[in-house]
Amino acid sequence: MLKLIQNEWMKLWSRKSTWIIIILLAVILLSSAAITKWVDNSMNANNTETWQQVETAEMAYNLSMLEDSNLGDAQREYFEGEVAIAEHRLENDVAPYEYNSMQQTVIESHVMMSLVTLFTVIVAGGIVAAEFSQGTIKMLLTRPVKRWKILSSKFITTMLYALLLAIVLFIFTALSGLIFYGISDGTFLVWNGSEVVEGSFWLEGLKLAALSFVNVLMIGTFAFMLGTAFRSSSLAIGLSIFLLFTGVQAVFLLENYEIVKYYLFTHTDLTQYYTGFMPVGDITMTLSVIVLLVYFVIFMAISYLTFGKRDVTA
Amino acid sequence: MSEQALVQIKNLSKTIGKKEIIKNLNLDLYKGQITGFLGPNGAGKTTTIRMMVGLMKPTEGDVLIDGQSVKHHFEESIEKVGVIVENPEMYKYMSGYKNLLHFSRMHKGISKKRIDEVVQQVGMQNRIKEKVGSYSLGMRQRLGLAQALLHNPKFLILDEPTNGLDPAGIREFRLYLQKIARENGVAVFVSSHLLSEIELLCDRIAIIQNGELIDIKNVKELQQSRFYFKAEPLAQAEEILTGIGFPVSRHDGGLLVETEPEHVPGAVKLLVNADVSIFAIQPFQATLEDQFLEMTGGGEIAQAHTK
Repeated sequence: MLKLIQNEWMKLWSRKSTWIIIILLAVILLSSAAITKWVDNSMNANNTETWQQVETAEMAYNLSMLEDSNLGDAQREYFEGEVAIAEHRLENDVAPYEYNSMQQTVIESHVMMSLVTLFTVIVAGGIVAAEFSQGTIKMLLTRPVKRWKILSSKFITTMLYALLLAIVLFIFTALSGLIFYGISDGTFLVWNGSEVVEGSFWLEGLKLAALSFVNVLMIGTFAFMLGTAFRSSSLAIGLSIFLLFTGVQAVFLLENYEIVKYYLFTHTDLTQYYTGFMPVGDITMTLSVIVLLVYFVIFMAISYLTFGKRDVTA
Repeated sequence: MSEQALVQIKNLSKTIGKKEIIKNLNLDLYKGQITGFLGPNGAGKTTTIRMMVGLMKPTEGDVLIDGQSVKHHFEESIEKVGVIVENPEMYKYMSGYKNLLHFSRMHKGISKKRIDEVVQQVGMQNRIKEKVGSYSLGMRQRLGLAQALLHNPKFLILDEPTNGLDPAGIREFRLYLQKIARENGVAVFVSSHLLSEIELLCDRIAIIQNGELIDIKNVKELQQSRFYFKAEPLAQAEEILTGIGFPVSRHDGGLLVETEPEHVPGAVKLLVNADVSIFAIQPFQATLEDQFLEMTGGGEIAQAHTK
């Protein structure tokens, strides 16, 4: 199996597009940070709000959110934590990081994860389909290797590439934060359920990035399935990207129906349990993990069945 | 031939939708023998080959390679097979060497030394580091042969192998195949449209039409001795020759007589005695092409099975 992954890895890096994607990702991250800095400089030149004022305003907002009786448990916990942290900061005079700082960029690196999803979809949709369109599939399948092993090696390679992209994302967001904003004073605080304690911004950034990587994994697997089942990379990539953008919108349309709880895109963003932004309130992490697992198994089953049974006539 | 067959195709059938593409095909292939696989377009050659290498699943029947079933023991049976299905498609964005490295990793125990050896054998050592995209069709064919030979297969399946090779290349290729068949005891199965090529290359020919095997012949058998007689009056000549027991058929304004050369003078005497004027007598060599067209009824595209 290791040799098969080695093969796929070699084929992947022999194509120019693989390199272009990595470079593009780095360039986008650096340039978007530069643009943000430039825009902020020209707009907020006379912003004189102190951090105490900001915290007070945010606390008031979070308290008002807690008034809402429809709030789900996960959201309630989040807002309570935020209020507790704000109170702690004001009482003990513990400043947060400045909004434009390297630390804050690291914590929020996950918001750019959709770029990784986008690029992963391109690779995932093409890795099987390309073998069919090039006609190399018949050279690949007339080897003493069972088909499921070949498909597994392709899936693992896709996910390794996605992981690499996510690492590049994390490093380059940190780097761009360092270059354009610099390290700010301040302390990172977390609510552990009973008290406010000091935390590591690196760990928080990594945790959120890891959670949003689940989204990459799900959409990547979906594109992989389409590419395998339809043998057309353009269809797989197109449809996956379309769903990537519209899938989440559909959550709001389905909001009032029970079915929304079993809809894939209600659950793909696992960071929702830590950022308080939950379109559907009454779901739990456990439910999300179960729903995602079921979808994952279905996507994989379709991929393996179509690839294993197909008569190759290309 | 009492020797155990290396490859046994048993009751192989393939039905797609309602159409029977391959009907109950049985064929044995032997060590050291080159078998040609002939048939008009759409007869099912490629489908048969695809089923032999596991690209398509047979509806019924199985293929045994060295006693192991392609259906049930895919890895063990395919390990012994080298394949070129139609044009050998390679990864154009990689060098020829990387392509071979790629395929070698899918077999057990192929060393770098073996790759270099095969590259030498097919005469690609000067261009092997270049990208396949820059190769000519002939060079891709050579690379295709190289990937099929990497793991020293006992059985080689080639679909249209000489497509794109120049005459010198074809000759070299033919001699090479005959060499590995003779010296290494490799069984070779070649499908081709180039009948003359098949005739020179193969020991045995299997002919398929409309998904059915219609004939298996040894090439030597095909080269039976016949003579062409041009004589007047033709009817009388035919009567006399048939009268003494020669198989006779009309052909191109004369007669075709199946006989050995030593019987020709006797036949001439008989005809002269009966006052038949003889204009020409010459040995008649039917090409494989003539025979092929004869057997497959003009070689038309396979009949449609719809009513």
